Amino acid sequence: MSARSPFAVEARGLSKVYRRWGRSRAFGTLKSAFLGRGFGKALAPSDTVAALSDVSFDVKRGETFGVIGANGSGKSTLLKLVAGLFKPTSGTLRVDGKVSALIELGAGFHPEISGRENVVINGVMLGLTRREIEKKLPSIIEFSGLSEFIDEPVKTYSSGMYVRLGFAVAVHVDPEVLVVDEVLAVGDEAFARRCLDTIKEFSARGKTIFFVSHSLALVEELCDRVLYLHGGRVAGLAEPREMLAAYRLNVSAGEGTRLLAEHAVEQETLRAEEASAPPAAAPGPGSEAPAPPSERSRRWGDRSATIDGVRLLGADGAERYAFRTGEAVTVEIEATPARPLADFVFGVGLFTPEDVCVHGSNTEIDGFAPGGFDGTARVRLTLARCDLGPGTYLIDVAVHARNGTPYDYWRGACRFRVDSARTEAGIWAPERSWATEGGVTWVRT
Amino acid sequence: MERLRDLWRHRALIGVLVAREVKARYRGSVLGYFWSLLNPLLMLAVYTLVFQLLLPNRSPSTSPYALFLFCGLLPWNWLSSSITDGASSLLTHGALLRKILFPAEVLPAVAVLAQGVHFLLALPVLLAALLAGAFGAFGSRVPLGWSLAQVPLLMLLQAVLLLGIALFLAALTVHFRDVKDLLQTVLAVLFFATPILYTLRDLPKGRLTGLLALNPVAPLFSAWHDALFYGRFSPPETWAAATGVSVVSFAIGWAFFDRLRDSFPEAV
Repeated sequence: MSARSPFAVEARGLSKVYRRWGRSRAFGTLKSAFLGRGFGKALAPSDTVAALSDVSFDVKRGETFGVIGANGSGKSTLLKLVAGLFKPTSGTLRVDGKVSALIELGAGFHPEISGRENVVINGVMLGLTRREIEKKLPSIIEFSGLSEFIDEPVKTYSSGMYVRLGFAVAVHVDPEVLVVDEVLAVGDEAFARRCLDTIKEFSARGKTIFFVSHSLALVEELCDRVLYLHGGRVAGLAEPREMLAAYRLNVSAGEGTRLLAEHAVEQETLRAEEASAPPAAAPGPGSEAPAPPSERSRRWGDRSATIDGVRLLGADGAERYAFRTGEAVTVEIEATPARPLADFVFGVGLFTPEDVCVHGSNTEIDGFAPGGFDGTARVRLTLARCDLGPGTYLIDVAVHARNGTPYDYWRGACRFRVDSARTEAGIWAPERSWATEGGVTWVRT
Repeated sequence: MERLRDLWRHRALIGVLVAREVKARYRGSVLGYFWSLLNPLLMLAVYTLVFQLLLPNRSPSTSPYALFLFCGLLPWNWLSSSITDGASSLLTHGALLRKILFPAEVLPAVAVLAQGVHFLLALPVLLAALLAGAFGAFGSRVPLGWSLAQVPLLMLLQAVLLLGIALFLAALTVHFRDVKDLLQTVLAVLFFATPILYTLRDLPKGRLTGLLALNPVAPLFSAWHDALFYGRFSPPETWAAATGVSVVSFAIGWAFFDRLRDSFPEAV
């Protein structure tokens, strides 16, 4: 036997093209199938979709290898290729050792027969001999925690029980390469924890794990290296921190473009609404107090002054709606008074979507006494460091009198996203540092 | 060829799956496996009633007709249910092909063998009926003897034949779901074109008779009648034809299946 390669999985220029079959070709196909000649050629696809293009990577023996990417980036296809379910259209893929795929747990359980019998059959399906599976049966049942129900037909199981039994069998197959899909999302917290521990234990025993997930936290926790797929191509392959940061920023960049477009549409719609139907809550000056804001009215006030538009600007002065934690954010309000005003205050409020006020201030609070307001003006508030945690934030802007009478109060005038390269929790993401003394040491990662 | 060895390597898997099919079929019914005996018994009772009392058969070569019919119908039931199950086997168990690494050829094999087990379970009823027939319970006596030794070989030939057909149709059905619908009609036609209700020897000579003789499964069913009903050994040409058909069927079915194999996980 030749020396074992240090790699458990080697992929070179892997491509997968899915074919969409045209109904019109069915007859020609049937005929050529019978003639048994040039079948592949006769099945000329009417349309093809490339799910993976030129993907190359190596997975080291004993490594936990993660794959991340948006929906449709080719993660599942890659997983199925590695699991041996699909054949690549071109390129080569070598997988060394017995593979067990946790793609759909309990696939192949028969509803009418008991859990115990299903375990035996499932084990044989996954490549164990009958004797091996009989020997492992007690341990499998113990792991699943279903000893009470093991002799009931599987059709009486809840979906959680089903998955638990499936997982129990799959991990007892003792593969050299474990392919894990988004399976940990099912089952309760305790079982999910247990699955995770099992996967870690596999890794500790030097098994290779190929892990696909949308849960970035899990990928960061488990994986040694991460492959980042984008549009069926390799966008990066490095350690989790680096790849996850790249992924998050890429997602927020895409998000930023979308938000910018959305903001334009939103402002346009609002302006159109204003023009076509002046709201009842905008009576002439001197009328009684405006109606209180209802759920729908996002904007109220007597319109002694009108906000013409709200924009967010980055540090470079360009308009945008996606920021990174710690960046400067400038809120620009453009407003026009109905008549020259001597009593006015500009205010800005920052809220979470759950309506928690993150910050609120106005020109009055910050020590600006009004002088005069007699023409269209742009007022900018710059928040020098937005140490906000990742998430979406809403901005309220207002022009009102010093006693609080609203001229134009605009709730949720615009919104923006904040992304962080880290996965911190909460709405505050301060600059921070740790210091330790005494018997603690750290390993740099 | 290597794949063919794989099929043998998967015998344990085939074994547990056949057991599961058989078990699951009767799960939940009170009489369980007993149905496998009871069904043919009821079938025989009905035939006896109809063909002994209501429609007495006049052809001496096929009487007692109830027993004659029974001898052909049991293998036919195995054939038709295997073909029906086998054709849809890949689609029915699509999840296995899509979600786990599973040898596809096992599925048609399981369909054929599970129905074979039902045939086996019905065999005692058939033997009991033949024994009763030998003592004249159905009218004229039927011979009973060493010709029954041909039964295992016939079962083997039929299993190989069905395996070929099931593999072929299963692969075809994955890409053309129409097969399932077409199959019912084809089987109905095949039933009348196969010597089950009659023997080829009794038919009036004519062009149509010549055509019926071309039916590939005719030799096998003639052999079943010989072994079970007539108590004689089939002539070598019948054996040769039946064996040839089985081998060719398997070869074609396997080649076709193997060629389409890689398309299954994506297409089911």
